[in-house]
Amino acid sequence: MYRTVVSRILLSGGGRRHLLRHRDLRTVICSSRFSTTTETQTVPNRRPLNPPDPSTSSSSSSTSFQTSSAAGDVPRHERQNPRAEYEEEQARVLQASLQHVIRLGWSEETMIAGAKEVGISPSIVGSFPRKEAALVEFFMDDCLQRLIDRIDSAEELQNSTPSQRIDRLVRIRLEMQAPYISKWPQALSIQAHPLNVSTSFKQRAMLVDEIWHAAGDASSDLDWYVRRTVLGGIYSTTEIYMLTDRSPEFRDTWMFLDNRVEDAFDLKKTIQEAKHLAEAVGAGMGSFVGKVLQR
Amino acid sequence: MALRLLTRNLRNRISPNLCSASLLHSHATSFGFKEVREEEKSQMVGKVFSNVASNYDLMNDFMSAGLHRLWKDRLVSKLSPFPGMKHLDVAGGTGDVAFRILESINSIRRRALQDPINDDLQEETRIYVCDINQNMLNVGKNRALERGLGEDKSLVWVQGDAEALSFEDNSMDGYTIAFGIRNVTHIEKVLTEAYRVLKRGGRFLCLELSHVEIPVFKELYDLYSFSVIPRLGEVVAGDRESYQYLVESIRRFPPQEKFASMIADAGFQKVEYENLVGGVVAIHSGLKI
Repeated sequence: MYRTVVSRILLSGGGRRHLLRHRDLRTVICSSRFSTTTETQTVPNRRPLNPPDPSTSSSSSSTSFQTSSAAGDVPRHERQNPRAEYEEEQARVLQASLQHVIRLGWSEETMIAGAKEVGISPSIVGSFPRKEAALVEFFMDDCLQRLIDRIDSAEELQNSTPSQRIDRLVRIRLEMQAPYISKWPQALSIQAHPLNVSTSFKQRAMLVDEIWHAAGDASSDLDWYVRRTVLGGIYSTTEIYMLTDRSPEFRDTWMFLDNRVEDAFDLKKTIQEAKHLAEAVGAGMGSFVGKVLQR
Repeated sequence: MALRLLTRNLRNRISPNLCSASLLHSHATSFGFKEVREEEKSQMVGKVFSNVASNYDLMNDFMSAGLHRLWKDRLVSKLSPFPGMKHLDVAGGTGDVAFRILESINSIRRRALQDPINDDLQEETRIYVCDINQNMLNVGKNRALERGLGEDKSLVWVQGDAEALSFEDNSMDGYTIAFGIRNVTHIEKVLTEAYRVLKRGGRFLCLELSHVEIPVFKELYDLYSFSVIPRLGEVVAGDRESYQYLVESIRRFPPQEKFASMIADAGFQKVEYENLVGGVVAIHSGLKI
């Protein structure tokens, strides 16, 4: 994804940046064909739902007709009541499931345990189209919400530099998944599953945008895509680093994060310097050519 | 076109004695393309299934080219059974769906063997197979014995009417009905009963032969079902009439959208359906909250 973003920057002319930025935001949200249940419900009327989960394709691949007739457009439909009651129940089940994650992992069993806890039939687990993914995505959304709340209330962020703020926010966010660290590789693999990958990218993009926004970095010299890409990179590498960090309270991870953020801001400076240099060289060349022509 | 001709032929052939009867009684319902009195339908359906019980699985394999096995697998995978589940499989006399659910639960248990809590839960698993027809239930019981499940406490065979279930309110985690709801007299009553017996969070799933809307495939499918299936029934099972009823009753069943709205009317939420093989069968599902 990062690569496509970069290639898009390279392809787009400077003048179109602004427009592209907005278009991209919209496509990021709308084009997620595998969106989570909560999102599909916001659409008021019926519409064909997403391609089915892997089990469908395996069972229907033998039914030659379906595969040939509907490439990616499997006839599956859903009717929606506006803000249906069942969504709240599903959210309650997921919330209750989170505390079983450490014992049972990001799995159906966890969700069954969660359902039992809130006192409704575990059968409801079958109503999540992508079961474990729903749980991971719920957790991601939940963390983002908590991060936003934290940003809104925290005063410590007010009087620090953008780089410190970014450092701090990434750390706050990663600390939220620290309790689940032993099971987090499993969550990452669920997110990387082809059926879930678009939603997880979207959630990460939202997270990164939120952090940039909170960092208050409104500078226009660096393209928005670059910023998103750079921070996305920092976040993900730190997340991976954290998986194998055995130091007390993830001290090494936070050091690693500090260094990465520092590097990024150095990079930002480097790019600026390179630009100035290029301008200077360009000006020099221009005057040289001018002189040649004058002769 | 072919269908229309065929159906007209059929109507002409069947109607003389029965249509007059249906005019006299206001409470008419359908038995295939025939109009019959409500009281008669269940008897006639009962007769059909008593006739076909012995050859039921053989004919299913023949007619669907074995696909019905995949459809039932899909139904069970959508249900996602769990250890300790109380499940009701209606019109599942031959146990096809019930065996699959049990298998699925057993494999979950094997996966989570280290978890001691699940072992006790396994003891609590109950799959009630309910069918109105004793002949079909007998076939299922025999098959359970063949599979070595005869002593399994999880399987409970119950003779009963889907329109008036003998189970308590809020007692079931799951409800499935595979190739059965088409044959009942009042679909609404069946749905209401399903809603009644399910717990909060329980799910209703229905696998049923449905309507094909894809142009060329539709014609082929009609040709197949009106010319091939009755003949197949005659040759393999020696019973043309029952299979004639089968294909006709499929055409009289409400289309996917209509049936989905009936499920929603019964009180279910998150009503969805999925067409398999272009709509030859559809799996409808609903969630009780």
